[in-house]
Amino acid sequence: MKKRLYIELENCIGCRSCLAACTQCGGHEQRNRNYVYDVNPHVNRQTMPLMCLHCENPACARSCPAQAIQIHETGAVLSALVEKCIGCQNCTIACPYGIPKFDEEENLMYKCDLCIDRTKDGIPPMCASVCPSNTLQWLTEEEIEQKQRRHDLDNDKWVTSMPYLEGATNVKVNLPGILQGTEKLF
Amino acid sequence: MAETVLRKPMKATHSINNAFASKFAKSMFLTVSGIIVLMFIGTRMFTHVDLNLYGYMVGTFVFIAGFFYRFIAWGERPPTKIIIKKGIKLLFRKSTPKTSVNHLGTYEFIWNRGIYRWTQHLLIGWGVILSCLVTFPLVFGWMYFTMEENGYYTIVAMGMDLMTVPADGVIAFLSYNALNITAIMVIIGVSMALYRRLKNMQARAEQKFIYDFLPLYLLLFISITGLILTFMNVFLHGAGHYAMSLIHQYSVIVTLIYLPFGKLAHIPFRPLSVFARNYREHYGEQSMKECKVCGDEFVSTEQSQDVVNVLGTNEIDFTMEQDGFNLAELCLPCRRKYRIARFSGFPTHEVKTKEANQNAKG
Ligand code: HEM
Ligand code: SF4
Ligand code: SF4
Ligand code: SF4
Repeated sequence: MKKRLYIELENCIGCRSCLAACTQCGGHEQRNRNYVYDVNPHVNRQTMPLMCLHCENPACARSCPAQAIQIHETGAVLSALVEKCIGCQNCTIACPYGIPKFDEEENLMYKCDLCIDRTKDGIPPMCASVCPSNTLQWLTEEEIEQKQRRHDLDNDKWVTSMPYLEGATNVKVNLPGILQGTEKLF
Repeated sequence: MAETVLRKPMKATHSINNAFASKFAKSMFLTVSGIIVLMFIGTRMFTHVDLNLYGYMVGTFVFIAGFFYRFIAWGERPPTKIIIKKGIKLLFRKSTPKTSVNHLGTYEFIWNRGIYRWTQHLLIGWGVILSCLVTFPLVFGWMYFTMEENGYYTIVAMGMDLMTVPADGVIAFLSYNALNITAIMVIIGVSMALYRRLKNMQARAEQKFIYDFLPLYLLLFISITGLILTFMNVFLHGAGHYAMSLIHQYSVIVTLIYLPFGKLAHIPFRPLSVFARNYREHYGEQSMKECKVCGDEFVSTEQSQDVVNVLGTNEIDFTMEQDGFNLAELCLPCRRKYRIARFSGFPTHEVKTKEANQNAKG
């Protein structure tokens, strides 16, 4: 059954387990490919992860002159093919969320590939496997719909991905109603 | 790649096909004519064509067709077009020779990925390039050997006598054995690559048979059949030579036909990395883009604009009306913080603090 990465942003406690786990995924060569940010660092401890959202029309791949960024049949937008990337860094400028990282020495871009060797077989990506706070989850379409129904108060309090993101994405984000000034029901 | 597809915007397909037919025919015609003219000169009006190598000739023509088919379509993609156009314009920068040697000859960037990976690629890459430098001039008659005087070979290049060497000397030895030496280089390099693909968990994660293993097996097959040919000539007095020579030629032809489509397509495409480097250096010196939030310079103005234009051709536009900038105008940390701001409703990107620990090392 097809599962997706699903993010409940405000659950995050800032433990950075997701970053550590990312380094351990096959093919990641001990480097992490995602981010955790303090929302308002001088005032409170709220953190949020920032992941590649695996856009359905990915700006990174569209801007790559070498076709080094391939889209997997599962929808995952893969990291640069090591023999194709020519090091132009177009992708880093194109991504609306600033996700792709670039290694100057190796002349190579690397980005989240949704742990493709795991997720292609239905195994959750490393980050979702370790997240202790259910910020990052690996869910079926039905489960995501259930979540949506549970939060849907028919008053715009529950929002996923569109229209708050720049395009349709394969990763679904549950935007934090509390912080938007609305309340979320559990 | 069978399993992955790069979806193209449907709109563009039609115009590509239109440009395609004529461009393809033109490039094909010019190249084939060029080779035939060179053959004519090199073989002193076709008097020295080596018909043993006829298979390669056919193979090369099929390869050229595949090559243009694949690369003209590639060159039509908007981002590729820009880098090729500006790359050619900047080709005569002072740094070009140095960058080219570094990127295309010594592969310093692969060294930085790991000495093992560098060694394997140096052996494969240079093994294959040197083999081609020896084989193809022989195929098209651009170079051949004559023995006008007993005990001395004359090397003829492009119809001119280049030099005369003693048949048992060092240069003659290297000339006969060039292909054996390069074959051994390729075999060692390919074995290293195969070993890494079977043992190394990093390499195993993403590999596929057709894309990652097939080219290695093809190169291995070519090199081994080539060495067997030598073995048959030297130790078996040529027994089985004809059959083996056909098998060897056949394997080279299959590889040439496969080349523009699989992993080996990186070979003709890699010079673009020099274009890309020139492009970044040149426009970086001209004027840099300042981040609309923090003011740091992070990319050349030219590249920022090119990327915005390329995304425009794909109907992607990241202009943030409410904040008065395009996302391509924010440096990467600010762009990430801006996204957190959009998620949370709090303007994270306006807090003047360096981004927090991003490496999970405590
Ligand atoms: C024009 C110069 C060339 C450049 C800049 C180049 C660049 C590269 C790069 C960057 C990689 C990835 C290496 C890694 O990260 O481990 C690679 C892989 C590879 N290249 Fe080249 N290449 C060149 C020429 C060649 C040639 C002439 C051949 C011979 C057929 C070749 C065969 C291969 C093969 C078989 C691999 C895959 C190795 C593996 O399985 O890991 N390359 N090349
Ligand atoms: S593992 Fe989960 S809780 Fe910890 S930092 Fe990452 S997203 Fe936040
Ligand atoms: S979020 Fe950025 S890196 Fe990820 S697919 Fe979209 S454009 Fe590419
Ligand atoms: S840096 Fe590499 S992956 Fe990114 S756009 Fe350039 S060639 Fe493509």
